[in-house]
Amino acid sequence: MAFLDNSGDIILDAVLTDTGRMRLAKGDGSFQITSFALGDDEIDYSLFNVNAATANQDLSILQTPVFEAFTNNASSMKSKLLTIADPNLLYLPVIQINEIYSGNNTAKHGDGVFVVAVNSDTETKFKTNKIVMYGENPSSEARYVRCDQGLDTSSISPSHALNAALLETQYAIEVDNRLLSVVSSDGSTAASVSFIDDDDIATYYLSQASNPSFVYDNPETSASATTQVISGPRGTILEFKFSSSLDVIDGSYFDELGSTKVMTDDYGADDASSTYKYIDTFVRIQGMTTGYSIDIPVRLIRFKTD
Amino acid sequence: MATIYKSFASSDAVQTRTLLHESVPITGSIVSGTYNIGKTTTEENIKDFAHGMFQSVYDYPYLSSSANHIFDITFGYSDNSALSGHSYSQNAKKINIYNEFAQVLAGFDETGAVREFDRDGDLTTGTKMRECIFINFSRLLTKDEIKKGSFTMYFHSGGNVATFGPPISTPQTASDFGATTDYRINSPAGEYAILYTSSATPDTTGESGIGLIYYQAGVAVLTASVFAKSTNPPAEGVAPATAADFSAPGATLKGVNNIDATLTGATISANSDAFRHRLYSVEFDNTTELNSSIYFCRINHNDYNYSANPTYTNNSKIRVKGEKRKNLPVSYPTTVGLYSADRELLAVAKLSEPLKKDPSTELTLRVRLDY
Repeated sequence: MAFLDNSGDIILDAVLTDTGRMRLAKGDGSFQITSFALGDDEIDYSLFNVNAATANQDLSILQTPVFEAFTNNASSMKSKLLTIADPNLLYLPVIQINEIYSGNNTAKHGDGVFVVAVNSDTETKFKTNKIVMYGENPSSEARYVRCDQGLDTSSISPSHALNAALLETQYAIEVDNRLLSVVSSDGSTAASVSFIDDDDIATYYLSQASNPSFVYDNPETSASATTQVISGPRGTILEFKFSSSLDVIDGSYFDELGSTKVMTDDYGADDASSTYKYIDTFVRIQGMTTGYSIDIPVRLIRFKTD
Repeated sequence: MATIYKSFASSDAVQTRTLLHESVPITGSIVSGTYNIGKTTTEENIKDFAHGMFQSVYDYPYLSSSANHIFDITFGYSDNSALSGHSYSQNAKKINIYNEFAQVLAGFDETGAVREFDRDGDLTTGTKMRECIFINFSRLLTKDEIKKGSFTMYFHSGGNVATFGPPISTPQTASDFGATTDYRINSPAGEYAILYTSSATPDTTGESGIGLIYYQAGVAVLTASVFAKSTNPPAEGVAPATAADFSAPGATLKGVNNIDATLTGATISANSDAFRHRLYSVEFDNTTELNSSIYFCRINHNDYNYSANPTYTNNSKIRVKGEKRKNLPVSYPTTVGLYSADRELLAVAKLSEPLKKDPSTELTLRVRLDY
């Protein structure tokens, strides 16, 4: 991926994404451009020197070379610009994984990822303390992913309400549809896929109004350091877990996309170890109000029988 | 409420059409000599087929994946031609080739009969071209169409071909002189014009033409009679008094075969060889029709002054504010994304450098999508 030549005039280099081409090829009218957004993926705002003279504060940022356009829709526009009417904001909310809310139920596995056992055979080899989600039977265990939104600053008390303009009421979850789907934190409700792109990335739009079992207000207004990861005013909570696709239950993709490793399990005896096939992927969470996004690392494991 | 996407108003998108031209020079050395491997009958960039209906010319040995198909050559004559005869080599195929080109390029008359190629484009009367050389250029070269008034072909209508490479005699010209303002539209295959030997040749009747060039089809039709006499324009259907040699390199009767003898006595492939070795060069401009949608992304003073970039905040505090709430927010867009109603990213436009955006600036970015 070359850098763009910026020695001449400012020229926009517009390309269709792979999804754009796919929709154009469909010819069903789904290729219809209705809106735009701005992105700043290349910019590192930590280069902004607030102590320099005004004209020099953004010197390094303005010299940032810009990449040519990516045609993969999932690779572009990762960080978007925001329109907020109030120019006097000093804080913007973030989204953080809350691993401490419910002990092992919301924590990552010791490997630093959320681990999903994709089939029943694999599920039976892990007891609760191994912090492995069940993908084929998600309602039979209590683990889930929880993300909290709000101002993560100790300068403002969490007893203050989050500015309504910054409250996330809708989230987008992007998941590799070949591997996983999204269900509610108790495993009882499957989320509806909004669309699946050409790369098999499924996008789920979950809103507070339509999906209250996934998105709801954070009622905690005290510091609660043992259960909360947002230090300041808190917004909404997004909770969900994963369900395995039939393909990964069946064992597909593991040889193609993954590898094998030895994991501590409870197969035969507590704290024994066995070899598992695994696939590492990530799930992207994006707030649809502020555009803030985080990537959640997920590992799918399957007991290696061969 | 914070927002990320801004909807286009109906006046924010406009459609435009642009014609893009490229100059296409084809040198005769590629066509007739660069890729022979020392044997008079083996040229690695020339592809003959078992069916023998035409010959393909590539710009590189055609077995290589780097090779590009540049044009095909074939010969044909009408069933009404004086040269048509059962005993002649590939007689049926030559008639079939002529009829195929004629029905596509000249069409059918009111009785359903295939029209013959007409020398001046007046299908109702005038001289017909019944023995023709067809050069159909690859879509790779012609793109949407050949630009009118840009086509010129140089070839040798006299002299012998002793070895590979062009003969030494002065090349003949076939060009669509004056076609920018004088062309025909009575073909089912689009617009075409008459090929003349010089800019002084065009006349009101067009009877001095030696061929036709079909712009959208990308096909040049040359009357075989240009090789019949040393003087041009030659008369149609008249046996040449001083016929030029038209044999291929290595042909048994090289030096004594005129165009009529070669047309009737040799295969299409051998005729194509003979023509290729008399081709000096071809040049034309192609045309690509670019249809574009231009989207005006209007960014008002209070739009897009904040960012969701992870580096934009430190512990949720906006870095560019420098601890002062009253400082203006600022952002540095590098990318414009165009979205569908369901927020799928359909197109991406990049700025060549980051732009500074704060509440004191307004921008209109024009994003052009070509189809």
